[in-house]
Order: sequence, then C-alpha cells, then structure tokens
Amino acid sequence: MSHLGELLSAHLDGELSPAERRRVAEHLEDCDRCREELDELASARSAVRSLPMVEVPASVLGLPDEVVVPLPRRKSFWAGAAAAAAAVFIVVASILAPDGTALTPQDLSDPFGARVSLDPGFTPTKVAQVRVATGDFAE
Amino acid sequence: MVETASDITWEDVARVYGRKIYNFAYRLTGNPDDAHDLVQEVLLRVRRGLPSYRPGSFEGWLWRITRNAFLDDVRRRKRRPTTALPDELDRTGLVSSPAPDEVLASIRLGEDVQKALLDLPYEFREAVVLCDIVGLSYDEIARAVEAPIGTVRSRIHRGRRMLRERLG
Repeated sequence: MSHLGELLSAHLDGELSPAERRRVAEHLEDCDRCREELDELASARSAVRSLPMVEVPASVLGLPDEVVVPLPRRKSFWAGAAAAAAAVFIVVASILAPDGTALTPQDLSDPFGARVSLDPGFTPTKVAQVRVATGDFAE
Repeated sequence: MVETASDITWEDVARVYGRKIYNFAYRLTGNPDDAHDLVQEVLLRVRRGLPSYRPGSFEGWLWRITRNAFLDDVRRRKRRPTTALPDELDRTGLVSSPAPDEVLASIRLGEDVQKALLDLPYEFREAVVLCDIVGLSYDEIARAVEAPIGTVRSRIHRGRRMLRERLG
C-alpha cells in the first residue's frame, strides 16, 4: 500500500480533487503512519499560519518619489509649439516696441497688442477704428 | 477578480496588498529593511506594468512581479538573506517590554518558526510563505512562481516536513 505523501498537505489546504479526497479519506482510516504524518504537517502548517502579520511601517506605503509625484503629462506637439511661439513673440515684441511705449501683460494678451508692439504707427486709436469696423460698437 | 487594468490603480495595490507584500518579504528574509525596499520596488513595477496588464489572474500577475522583484534584489545584492532575527523583531515593535509570560512565549515560538523558515531552501520557503502567510491557492502560487501545480504541491509538502523536523 503506497502512502499518501504530498496528498496530505494538499488535503490540509483543501486542494484535492474529489477522487483524491476519497482516496485520502479511505487511506487514513487504515493507516496510522499517514495519520501521524498528517498531524505533524498540520502542526507545521499551523505554526507558520500563527506567525503574526507584521504591520507595515507608515514609511513603506509613503512610497518613493517616483510614485508619489505624478509625472507631468506630456504636452502635445501643438501645445509646445504654441508656447514656444508665444515666448518668441514676447522677446521680439520687447525688442521692437517703440520708445516710450510701455508694454503691459494686457497689451500682450490683446489680439491687437502684437500690432501695437510691432508697428509704431499702429496706435490705439487705429485699434478702436478697427474694432468699430468689425462691428464691435460697444467700443 | 480584476478584469481590466482600469479596474485598479497602483494606489489600490498599495492599500490592499501592501501589507501582504511586506509580510511576504519579511518572512522570506527576516529583515524589515529588505521588506521595505521590496514593497516600494513592487509598487513601482505595478505602476509601470498596469497599462499592459491583461485580464486573467491578477493575484498571479502581482505575485509574479513581487517574486521577480525579490529575486532581482537578491541577485543584485549578491548575498544570502539575513538571519539576524531577534534584533529585527525588536525594531518592528513585535517585542513589547515588559510582556506577560504567555505573550513572550508566543513571541519566542514565532522566532523559532521564523528561524526554521529561514533555514529552508528558497523554493520551499517561498512556496510555504505564499501558501500559509500570503494565503494564495496552489493555482495562484503556480502562476506566481511559473511552475507546474504539481511542483507547487510537492514544494509545500516538503517545506512543511522540513519545518516540522527543525521545530522538533
């Protein structure tokens, strides 16, 4: 009669097929040796399972920087190009702005600000005329 | 079961599995510093790997990552796992002082079991820890260690027999 061997551990873990379960049950009824081994295996299994779960130190789940700090989302090509163009514009506008004309952030955000800064002859009055001409009568 | 990568984030993994991953490493090495490093490495790998995760056994996937991270770390350090257990237990706060006799006896028993675990060859220790500490099924362990389920069954059985011999 062959003994149960590793079927005993699988039996303890509920990992047997129905056919194996029947074989183990029948064998254990008549085999002192396998019953003794089953007890020993159960003891070893219980010893490991009774080890306390160690609490994770808070610092562990604080996680490394690579995880905690989200990587910046990659900007699209066009977003990058627009930002570069805006930077170039600001630099050029600063260079070409007529003497005595103080550029303000509002100027630079105004669609006409570029013209004001780049064309000394393009005055705010002309800006107002253009606006009227385009139907912005509130001006 | 996790069906798609969008069902879970690495933050979920940290919250749900962080403690188990930590204990897996701690029981394999007996060293809280190694366990600390492993959890962080696993979370980094999970974060990188989630976009390519395909529906299946999430537990198998996660524990395969965990095991590979552990083995990579062992290879990198080129040293055997530490066995400096008592001091490590003190540092993790498992030992309180003063302790009632029965609590102290329990801790000593735990130390004996941990030492016996550390004496096992790696494959057997790993199988026993994944089964009895982490609580994986044989099928999940087989996926994690990329071995046939019959091999897993054999390793768990032989690991327990060796433990029994060492514990007396």
